[in-house]
Amino acid sequence: MRAVIFILFFYSVYASNIDEYFDKRYRILKSESRTSLGGNVTLNDKEAAVNICLMHYKFKEVDYWFDNPRYFNCSRHYFTYKQYIKTSKVYRIIQDMPKGAALHVHDMGLLGPHYLLNITYQDNLYVCFDNNLHLLFANAPPKSPCDGKWQLMNKARNSSNNITKFDADLRNHFTLFVKNPDTIYPSIRETWRAFMKFFITVQPMLSYRPIWEQYFYDALKRFKEDNIMYLEVRSILPNLYELDGTVYDPLVTAKTYKKVIKNFMKDHRDFLGAKLIYAPPRKVDRVKLEEYLELAKRIKQDMSDTFAGFDLVGQEDLGSPLIEFVPQLLESASELNYFFHAGETDWYGTLTDENLVDAVLLGAKRLGHAYALPKHPQVLNEVIKKDIGLEVNVISNAVLSLVRDIRNHPLSAFLAHGLPVVLSSDDPGVWEADPLSEDFYIAFVAVASRLSDLRLLKQLAINSLKYSALDSISKVDALRKFNYKWNEFIDNFDCSKYQN
Amino acid sequence: MAFVSTTSVLFILFISISGKSIPNSYIENRINLIEREVDMQLGSELVLNDDEKLANEILMHWKQKEIEESFRNPQYFNFSKHYFDYKNDIPKSKVYQIIRGMPKGAVLHVHSSLMLSADRLLNLTYENNLYMCKNEIGDLQFRFSEDIPKWPCHTSWVLLSDLRSLGDATKFDESLKNYFTLFSGSSRGCDKIDINTIWRKFEKISNVISQLIIYRPVTEKFFYEALNEFYNDNIQYIEIRSGLKSLYELNGTVHDKLYMPRLYRDVAERFKRDHPDFVGVKLIVTRHRLKTDEEIRKTINLARQVKQEMPSFLAGFDLVGQEDLGRSLSDILPLLNEAKNDLKYYFHGGETNWYGTSTDENLFDAVLLGSKRIGHAYGLIKHPSLLMAVKQYDIALEVNVVSNAVLGLVHDVRNHPLATYLALGLPVVLSSDDPGVWGADPLSHDFYITFMGVASKRADLRLLKQLAINSIKYSTLDIKNKEALYSVFHTKWDVFIKQVLTLSTNL
Repeated sequence: MRAVIFILFFYSVYASNIDEYFDKRYRILKSESRTSLGGNVTLNDKEAAVNICLMHYKFKEVDYWFDNPRYFNCSRHYFTYKQYIKTSKVYRIIQDMPKGAALHVHDMGLLGPHYLLNITYQDNLYVCFDNNLHLLFANAPPKSPCDGKWQLMNKARNSSNNITKFDADLRNHFTLFVKNPDTIYPSIRETWRAFMKFFITVQPMLSYRPIWEQYFYDALKRFKEDNIMYLEVRSILPNLYELDGTVYDPLVTAKTYKKVIKNFMKDHRDFLGAKLIYAPPRKVDRVKLEEYLELAKRIKQDMSDTFAGFDLVGQEDLGSPLIEFVPQLLESASELNYFFHAGETDWYGTLTDENLVDAVLLGAKRLGHAYALPKHPQVLNEVIKKDIGLEVNVISNAVLSLVRDIRNHPLSAFLAHGLPVVLSSDDPGVWEADPLSEDFYIAFVAVASRLSDLRLLKQLAINSLKYSALDSISKVDALRKFNYKWNEFIDNFDCSKYQN
Repeated sequence: MAFVSTTSVLFILFISISGKSIPNSYIENRINLIEREVDMQLGSELVLNDDEKLANEILMHWKQKEIEESFRNPQYFNFSKHYFDYKNDIPKSKVYQIIRGMPKGAVLHVHSSLMLSADRLLNLTYENNLYMCKNEIGDLQFRFSEDIPKWPCHTSWVLLSDLRSLGDATKFDESLKNYFTLFSGSSRGCDKIDINTIWRKFEKISNVISQLIIYRPVTEKFFYEALNEFYNDNIQYIEIRSGLKSLYELNGTVHDKLYMPRLYRDVAERFKRDHPDFVGVKLIVTRHRLKTDEEIRKTINLARQVKQEMPSFLAGFDLVGQEDLGRSLSDILPLLNEAKNDLKYYFHGGETNWYGTSTDENLFDAVLLGSKRIGHAYGLIKHPSLLMAVKQYDIALEVNVVSNAVLGLVHDVRNHPLATYLALGLPVVLSSDDPGVWGADPLSHDFYITFMGVASKRADLRLLKQLAINSIKYSTLDIKNKEALYSVFHTKWDVFIKQVLTLSTNL
């Protein structure tokens, strides 16, 4: 790994006396801290004061857990402790902190059940219940297959005996959250089934064009409220439709993105914008992939300023490995930037695991998850050499059954080695998480070192812009605007605000 | 089927997936990258002979089959569950059966009082003159005595044989056995409780067992039995960790603390005589890390005496007990620094999930104090400077996968940092810590779970052999004895390979 510089410190390991021993010990610890992510950030006086407040509360929380591990939530399932996060002062500080960009999010997982349930109150939504929930906007009862009867949602709701219960049942379809996750999700199979079912349920409802536009606008708003200034959104680009059944080309979906982003930025001048990563399902054959790539190139041609690049999605273990598509992906590599999901798996030495190798060899600009990277020292070297951003999504990995005790997440090693990490949230709406604050919080108090401080948080925020797909001029501008926001946060920081 | 190297397997895989359409340069780069990784992995330096290659094919046939089944049906994949939920399924595995028969070299990290399975411990309660005292909260005390023991007891001392004959002896034995093990048939409750609670249970068991086995005649039987269990799991040499306890006789005579190492040494010698293919035992003297400077100093001095009296029996010194709750090495540093020229250290270090805490920093002190090996080193992956140092100074990591799972560090063993240690080719030895307490094999379960659940799907017989060789290489034996151990090991290894080859017809 990156540790060559350390050898020096260990020459003549033995210290002759205690003072020398502790001196040596101090220097080694110091050098490790400098290597770790954020270790090179220098805080000015004002930042240092904020840091004191932040670390006061961090130590209080972490030390309490160290002494009372039965109250340490993050070794359990996220669903069992998410409600307690809100009471943390560290969390509230992080909420207020500008966090830069969210670079790994999927469009249909941006907003949670509350928002989705509200959509079901819109006119012209038809519903049909069989083993699944079917939702579709139309001006007449849809013909799409369903074992039940299509009826207007408002009618179904009003004719139900208990609207509260009706809505609560409906809401369950819009979230993975359950009170007893260990029973409901005993293995990755059950979690991913529920996860896929979520998308199958919401896609037809969301892809009604006016809803889609409003949804994405509101999603940007929600992210902005969580102090995020820029997004790169992965989309499968579903075909949008109108009430009369008109179905649009995916290119229209991409253009819709462009339009909404433009509108949003008009309304929110301090927002930096968003870009699109076209990320269709990976469980396809080469013929289908060819179509994907062609579409990607068309989008790029049509709207190069909004288009960031290409990726493939879906459970990596079950989809086609990248190696299957190498000839095609290699051919298009000069035209498309890649942001591949890779190594989102616990299976070491499998084809899934090797996606890391191909993602790097195909020249990916960033890797999605890269969960398996610590098992691949040479790929890790390439990541350092080519400065490939790692999009880490801690809560996602926990909810989707890769890791239970979050302290075992490989992110801790990534941070220790100072790898180019960006934190993101994947599908926060699906597990009812904040756009980004909860991921930052959990990474900060439970994955990172007890000792890592504001410098780590600042570096993570800076990284999210540094490793974005913005062109170099926009990046400079983005960093300038971030610094402005950051300084505002520092200047207005009031530790006493978090006392209660 | 002829043997092909990993690289050529990869290559063939490529061609068959992608035909001619991948440019040669890409293929070259890919193979090059993967090869560099494979070359780093633990075991990659070994070259297998023809018989070994064939045996490897058989082994890998079963390994791939088991893993592919689990990959396709992750809901049935055991290693992402609690050890207690799948422990009883292990014997069914063909890979396990092969590993069970494999000579595994040495066990270098095991606490002697926790080596023996609950069943065997139960047998020891059939010894005469054993009194038992059960207090209000159900804690047990044991004492062998001619008459009712004078030791304090909140209720009353009763002869265990009387208690047993009072009612259903089978039931009685079952409930007694529960005091000797954390295993109760399933993980019920175990995977939900926090680490301190698990450790409290663990230390309670340890305490009960220790009362049973400090009666001198039982100590002898116990230790001989324990060696026998390990021997039967194809282990040729052991370095035990043990505190120095005062053994006693039936008439109440209490021996001094040096009596116990002498007895251990004598039992080991006797076992060696009875089993010429067993190479021996050495002792790492331990003290609980919660003790005061004075108490630790006393033990260090005793260890010095053991060294003087039995230099070839003493391996060194270590501190034990839950690292998070105990004193940190830096806290005891002056003492440890002072004795480091007299005693070799084998410190527990980083048996924790708490990154950036004093426990975590024990790893730095273990290295700086010149520890010959590090126990667990679970937190090492978070310390780039130390990863470098252990490689540079060839400091072995004593990894105990089942222990870490049972004692609450990791749930899905695929997240165990050992996977990275193996990928980096760090000097790893596998051990089992306290197999008796969780009803594991002396070492085979740890090997099996590592091979199937932690290591790469492609890791093969070379990894297993290298792990066995490492256990010899990083033992504290002198050159002459190390060579003797290698020679015993290689003889057994050849027999083992021949045995595996007889399985080939079942392919």
